[in-house]
Amino acid sequence: MSYEFEKYRAFGPLYRITHWVFAISCVILLFTGYYIYEPWFTTMLEKGVDDFTVANMRFFHFAAGYCFMGAVIARFYLWFFGNRQERITDALPVTKRNIKNFWGAILNYLYVKFHVPRLGHNALAGTTYLVTFLLSMVMIASGFYLLYPESVQVQAWGGAVFGSQQNARFVHFILMFYYIFFAMVHIYIAIWNDVMFGEGLVSAIISGSKFLHIKRPRVD
Amino acid sequence: MADQSENGIGDLRITRRSFIKGCTMAAAALGLSETMIPRLVSAATSPQRPPVVWLHFQECTGCTESLLRASHPDIGRLILDLISLDYHETVMAAAGYQAEENLKNTIEKYDGKYICVVEGAIPTKDGGVYCKIGGRTAMDILAEVAPRSAAVIAIGSCASFGGLQAAAPNPTGAVGVRDLVRGKPIINIPGCPPNPISFLGTVLHYLTWKKLPVTDNLGRPLFAYGRKIHDHCERRAHFDEGRFVEQFGDEGHRQGYCLYKVGCKGPATFSNCPAVRFNDVDQWPVSAGHGCCGCTEPGFWDSMTPFEQRLPEVEVPLGKGTVTSAESVGRTVMGITAGAIGIHAAAGVVRRLAKGTAKKDEIREE
Ligand code: HEM
Ligand code: SF4
Repeated sequence: MSYEFEKYRAFGPLYRITHWVFAISCVILLFTGYYIYEPWFTTMLEKGVDDFTVANMRFFHFAAGYCFMGAVIARFYLWFFGNRQERITDALPVTKRNIKNFWGAILNYLYVKFHVPRLGHNALAGTTYLVTFLLSMVMIASGFYLLYPESVQVQAWGGAVFGSQQNARFVHFILMFYYIFFAMVHIYIAIWNDVMFGEGLVSAIISGSKFLHIKRPRVD
Repeated sequence: MADQSENGIGDLRITRRSFIKGCTMAAAALGLSETMIPRLVSAATSPQRPPVVWLHFQECTGCTESLLRASHPDIGRLILDLISLDYHETVMAAAGYQAEENLKNTIEKYDGKYICVVEGAIPTKDGGVYCKIGGRTAMDILAEVAPRSAAVIAIGSCASFGGLQAAAPNPTGAVGVRDLVRGKPIINIPGCPPNPISFLGTVLHYLTWKKLPVTDNLGRPLFAYGRKIHDHCERRAHFDEGRFVEQFGDEGHRQGYCLYKVGCKGPATFSNCPAVRFNDVDQWPVSAGHGCCGCTEPGFWDSMTPFEQRLPEVEVPLGKGTVTSAESVGRTVMGITAGAIGIHAAAGVVRRLAKGTAKKDEIREE
């Protein structure tokens, strides 16, 4: 049998913009950040060219870091003032509706239970995004502490949170792996959802619209 | 050495010339204009300058050694000349009861006026029994001497942050002065050892303006610890260009490239080493070809080791104390994730093959 889907508006424009700023700045941050950790290609051969490799990598890292922070601030606003799908109340697994959806999503991902359509993200995804958001604040805090080490104000809170520059570097580096982990799982699950349920999840973050089926399909 | 007499015994007097030279070096380190030098000199020769009580606790005496053995004799002598050292276990002539008597007298006579310099960490575990002098614990002595002083100077990383003694698992519960003394101006001059000039500058600053210099959040004077080593290192141009030593002894090492990839901690360490350098031979660790070890930072024995790697290692929970690099832990996590994704996708494909195109089974309304 065929499916009947109806188009719904799920995500507002600011939400979609923050998503793509996150995505692009994260790719740049991961690449340049890993390069700062281990500059694996260098100007060892002294080509006689001043290409300033490491200095430029650091510059792109900081520039992307500022964009990343802008996106985090916008996302913070949306947690409270976004539409229903964007708010924190749709993510936190504390209400009955969300707790049910949280476990339902886990079982669905394990191929055990049916997919339950929902206009926003499922509560498992929402919770993951919330955790990622909080870790991003740690990333920004450690990043800015590393960026402005001589500032008295930054030293005051940075020193209190991280203790020393070296500890901040360590935290900043270890958390990089969370972002790689997140990117892998996030992209896989998004595509998997699209393939399995045909709701147009991947294009929803571009167009803002999602397709939910309107008739319950017949179960033979 | 300039002022060594013919029979090889150093002349212990300090000439006015070298005295002023020393003051000038300290003024330069403090970032002062030359017009301030006369003020420093007159403060340093003032008969009312405060006496100093120098306490040694859990330490190696390296800080004192580096002060006294500065190849430039002026500095070490200037310090001894400058501060009227009433109690210093390494250099004082008195011993035993006489020495302890000196300490007692100074505290009584100059109550609230003397400077207390502390060298070495203070063990606090088991009532502080791990360091005793004249039958009293370091904790007791500090609790008696520090509160009655005008200011406390913690010299070296041990007195500042606990140093080597406080390295995990810190068996003696060693801590720095700041963890025990409250309500007194305390300044930290960390380093293993710190540069004598940084100490001298601090003392001269105090004698001249009757207050301690401005510090960062860790109590280190900004004139000496206000900037990262990395930000005024002579190899920095190589860093920015991406020219690195890949291995000790390689071509890059011979060329004097940046030591970042062989574990230099310059990017995480605050100190004036590249500018002031040591012992007047214009050397410091990085110019000698080894990366900075980060010795002026709190907890450096734990967070800066291994010295030839940039970031500390992590303990793997399952391996009973096995340590490995943070990167290999991260790589393992990424590998497991990739594997899990592959298995999950394969399971979906197998399931669909087994059931035919069963897309309708996947969805149910809320
Ligand atoms: C997803 C987010 C981010 C990732 C994955 C990331 C990754 C990294 C990595 C791996 C390093 C090298 C650490 C080391 O080996 O010492 C690094 C360094 C650094 N990051 Fe980030 N970073 C992120 C966000 C930020 C942000 C938001 C800022 C703030 C502007 C920032 C500022 C810095 C600074 C200042 C350094 C030190 C560079 C240097 O001094 O050489 N990072 N980052
Ligand atoms: S040698 Fe160390 S301090 Fe100097 S530029 Fe390289 S990393 Fe920085």
